[in-house]
Amino acid sequence: MLRYATLEIRRMLREPRFAIFTLVIPVVLFLVDAGIFKSDTGLGGISVAGYLMISMAAYGAIVAALSATGARLAQERDNGWLRQLDVTPLSAWSVVGAKTLAAMTLTLPAVILVYLVAGLTQGVALPGWQWAALVAVSWLASLPFAALGVLIGSAASVDTAQPMVTGSMFFLAIFGGIFIPLEVFPRSLANVARLLPSTQYTEIGRAVAGGHLPGLGAVAMLAAWTLLLCASGALAYRRATVRA
Amino acid sequence: MPARQSGAMNAIDFHTVTKRYGPVLAVDGLELSLPLGKSVALLGPNGAGKSTSLSLLLGLARPDAGSVDVLGRSPQDAVKAGTVGAMLQEGELVPGLTVRELVDFVRRLYPDPLTLAEVLELADLTDVAERRTDKLSGGQAQRVRFALAIAGKPRLLLLDEPTAAMDVAARRSFWASMRGYAAQGRTILFATHYLEEADANADRIVVIDHGRVIADGTAAQIKATTGGRTIRFTLGGQPTAGLKTLPGVTALEVRGDVATLQTSDQDETLHALYATDLRVRDLSVAGANLEEAFLDLTRQAA
Repeated sequence: MLRYATLEIRRMLREPRFAIFTLVIPVVLFLVDAGIFKSDTGLGGISVAGYLMISMAAYGAIVAALSATGARLAQERDNGWLRQLDVTPLSAWSVVGAKTLAAMTLTLPAVILVYLVAGLTQGVALPGWQWAALVAVSWLASLPFAALGVLIGSAASVDTAQPMVTGSMFFLAIFGGIFIPLEVFPRSLANVARLLPSTQYTEIGRAVAGGHLPGLGAVAMLAAWTLLLCASGALAYRRATVRA
Repeated sequence: MPARQSGAMNAIDFHTVTKRYGPVLAVDGLELSLPLGKSVALLGPNGAGKSTSLSLLLGLARPDAGSVDVLGRSPQDAVKAGTVGAMLQEGELVPGLTVRELVDFVRRLYPDPLTLAEVLELADLTDVAERRTDKLSGGQAQRVRFALAIAGKPRLLLLDEPTAAMDVAARRSFWASMRGYAAQGRTILFATHYLEEADANADRIVVIDHGRVIADGTAAQIKATTGGRTIRFTLGGQPTAGLKTLPGVTALEVRGDVATLQTSDQDETLHALYATDLRVRDLSVAGANLEEAFLDLTRQAA
């Protein structure tokens, strides 16, 4: 599985345009937003820039995780490459694991980049251990989104995969309170939005950035999402490869 | 799943296998056993059930009825154990890697693979080893697919129309490589609709149509079982009325000047032929060749 993960990573590195596109957009959005909301007061104990930093890092993680796998996996199902793997000793679990792992290697630079830019240009100052904790948590917590990428790639057709990836990205971002704070939403909508993994992800990020432990509720819910999405993704992949 | 031991192990066993795809009966009560160490051709027209049979052998499809054993185990177990290699008909090569990287990766998935150098040489890829997989010609890509199939040194090699997109020269060198691989006692099953290819490269030919085995043996045996003879003569512009109804005649074909009669009893047919008013010129009588035997068989099975 690790060898296949390495292979996927190597392939990703050879397509620099894709990676750059994926990594740069959240940074650009962050800088634009930070510029717009410069004078506003912070929310929940962190500065505006810090708040935006968490939001955009979350967005970056979601975009990276979904783009890394989603459309490409659907394509590989369609063009016969996965069928070729199917007749080798490589198990379906290994493929799912490898693709998830490969997606996670893209989410790491995604979050680091946003944090770097925030720290260097917008004056977001956190003690060293807190930066480290933030990076670690942001990275680990991106697992459910990596799993979602596998799920979409396994279930969608070649034509619908990319739209589903894009749609999911925006859905999770908007209703995760990434572009607009959830406080602004009408009550009923906000309650539903709180159930989304993206909401929990940003909540956890804000907590760590604010210097305190993330709430148990958010962690538990994100963990549940992770389990659900990983299981669904694996099942969807198996269903897709075993021709009835 | 424990291996099913039944005396000498066969490479492949189909036990009354049926497989449907929606309304289409792809495989219909297929019964077939192949021993180890031989090269076998699965010969049949398009839609005969060849690809489905191979999918069943690879565990890519599950039978609706009956069972399939590969090297004494279930197909999935055989594949997991690295004992089976397959060259599939379609399937793009994953882009973004060199030939070397791709072949090496697949190679290392198996417990006892060939060395990278051996694979590249057998598949005649040493020259293009550093090229990206998406920058290959059709023939080169086909050779890579072959390399992926043999890289694990599998005991059983399955090939689905391996030379479909190849020109004559590529085909010849492919079979030369294949002989090199088969020489070490491996079992090879290839599906084809090319009769000459089956004849030239297989110890045994299994003719399949409408999902069933309709003939099984060496090329010579198959030619013999149809028992037919071909009577050919120059008809010129003479009427063909009555030729089909001559005793023993099973089929009549008139192409240009030449009439070809398939017959199960050449003596009766010839006797009756000369009794007609027709002027029979340039007569030749021959045993059925493989093409005619094949057509005969598939016509009977329809």
